[in-house]
Amino acid sequence: MPARADAGHRLHRLLAVLTCLARQGRAPVAELAERFGLSPDELIADLELAACCGLPPYTPDQLMEIMVDEQEVVANLGPELARPRRLTAAEGFALATAARAIEAVPGADPEGSLARGLDKLEAVLGDRDRLRIDLGEPPYLAELRHAVATGAQIELGYYSVSSDEESLRVVDPLSVVVIDGRWYMDGYCHRAGDMRRFRVDRVLSVRLTGEQVTQGGPDAGSGTPDERSGGVSEAAFVPGPDAVVARVAVDDGGLWLTDALPNLGVDELADGRTVIRLAVASTVWFDRLLLRLGPHAEVLGPPELVASGRLAAARLLDRYRGSGTGRS
Amino acid sequence: MVDRLERLTDLVLVLLRDERPKPLREIAAEVPGYPAEGEARRQAFERDKRTLRDGGVEVTAVPIDGREQAGYIIRPDDFYLPALDLAPDEQAALNLAVAGVHLGDPSGRDALWRLGLPASAGVRPFADLAALPALPVLYDAVRRRAAVTFHYRGDERHVAPALLRFRGGWWYLVGFDLDKEASRTFRVDRMEGSATVGEPGSAEMPDSFDPAAALPEEPWRMGEEEVVGVDVLVDAGLAPLVVAEVGEAKVCDRRADGAVVVRLEVTNIAALRSWVLELGEHAEVLAPDSVRRAMVSWLEATAAGARVVD
Repeated sequence: MPARADAGHRLHRLLAVLTCLARQGRAPVAELAERFGLSPDELIADLELAACCGLPPYTPDQLMEIMVDEQEVVANLGPELARPRRLTAAEGFALATAARAIEAVPGADPEGSLARGLDKLEAVLGDRDRLRIDLGEPPYLAELRHAVATGAQIELGYYSVSSDEESLRVVDPLSVVVIDGRWYMDGYCHRAGDMRRFRVDRVLSVRLTGEQVTQGGPDAGSGTPDERSGGVSEAAFVPGPDAVVARVAVDDGGLWLTDALPNLGVDELADGRTVIRLAVASTVWFDRLLLRLGPHAEVLGPPELVASGRLAAARLLDRYRGSGTGRS
Repeated sequence: MVDRLERLTDLVLVLLRDERPKPLREIAAEVPGYPAEGEARRQAFERDKRTLRDGGVEVTAVPIDGREQAGYIIRPDDFYLPALDLAPDEQAALNLAVAGVHLGDPSGRDALWRLGLPASAGVRPFADLAALPALPVLYDAVRRRAAVTFHYRGDERHVAPALLRFRGGWWYLVGFDLDKEASRTFRVDRMEGSATVGEPGSAEMPDSFDPAAALPEEPWRMGEEEVVGVDVLVDAGLAPLVVAEVGEAKVCDRRADGAVVVRLEVTNIAALRSWVLELGEHAEVLAPDSVRRAMVSWLEATAAGARVVD
């Protein structure tokens, strides 16, 4: 938080500090400052200011009773300031969403602390059953979360779309996260010799190797979660150095592509079509995308990808025309 | 010179204490730091009111007798929530929830501040739910049963909102379309511009409307075409993943080589086609003939590189 935050934010924060103090009476300066993202000096300055606030005629008995020394804050603020305050729409939404998301994790206790807290909150906010979050439950989710929790190394059977192959690999699982509504597992892949992110819904098998993880987890480091590798704010798809940038022209029937995938830029063509630039790290993945776009898309470049869609469709047609691969 | 934060804090305390709306003249006499009188004082007060409102503190203006005609008050019901009586473990659980779910803005933390719950530090978020600016407004409308108006695919829609739902990476608004008199589901990220919210209670919907049932689980059910049973063959390699996705009950044949045939009840053929094609050369539509032929035509057009002329 910048030291010169605007007055509205400072008021919001000061009222929160006062609510906290009104509820608990006293708190160590360092702890209270950390909780509100302040340096101890900033906190003390705000509290000294608050100690001059109160009601007319601002005689000592009408001012807020706050005593600060270098170690501790002691306050006697009365019951009113301790009361919970109304939430803005954004705050109510954020709190309910966070709680609902945790409840949506398979295995969450439907009668646990969070459910009871949320019940009380929603009774007051008046919004029971107005918000629903589905995170899904791929088959090996529970095993993978358990492996992360216990630090157990696993042998992972995995289907990779980018190479269109099944593989077995030894992985040190480090965390299981939800990004864009999908479950992913981050871990150190011994086959690749590097960190990898796996889609949980493409896991074909999980076997414990009996070893503990050998690589330090992201939680072992210091710093904020966002600074560590593999944090949830990292995009699920980051173009690698080998990615080729394809230019794909789509008509209205293929415009869903702009919503469905991260892209590197969008332009209009004179004939009314839209050109989307996509990072292509895997030709298998690109072929399947072009099959779905079908006649609504045309690859403009680079030259080695121009025929991708046509060739992929021709290969699949062979299957449909083949005798007896499918129909018996 | 009185610090503005001090003036704002005193203003909140004064307006909150009084049960009687006060004219600005009295407020300025009681709260140190306002300009002596005139336009500058009015402007400073209006600016303070805006700052308070932006921070979620509503100052209500009430007509009063006398020269100034308007008095101001912070109504306790606008400022405080009714007692929550959260137990310590419930507080801790809400804290962990806010720390664990990343929404892209500090609203969750702000909520904990307003409830007086200590924020915890150092918890690693496990989920990222891309929050959109429209969501709090829609959530408020759903809670207040207020009709909403917004632009969607070029049309203005009037909707009684019933449920906000996150699934598969997208936020949906489920509601009753007041013009079409039917249940509808809208992708929130595809709404154009901002939504206008009507009066609380203005959203009327039939008793039979069930928002939880309005958003089907599978993409090929998200349409209003007549139901067709479609058989899809999936090769052995991807069979376990597909069975996990569609459910064991949909399997109508298991072949000796490990391949499976699943029968899907489809009301959106285009979505089914897209789903099957994502499986690449590992799946094909077997039946009915009409759907299989349509798939072949699609692939032929793609193989020929023909462009659709609309």
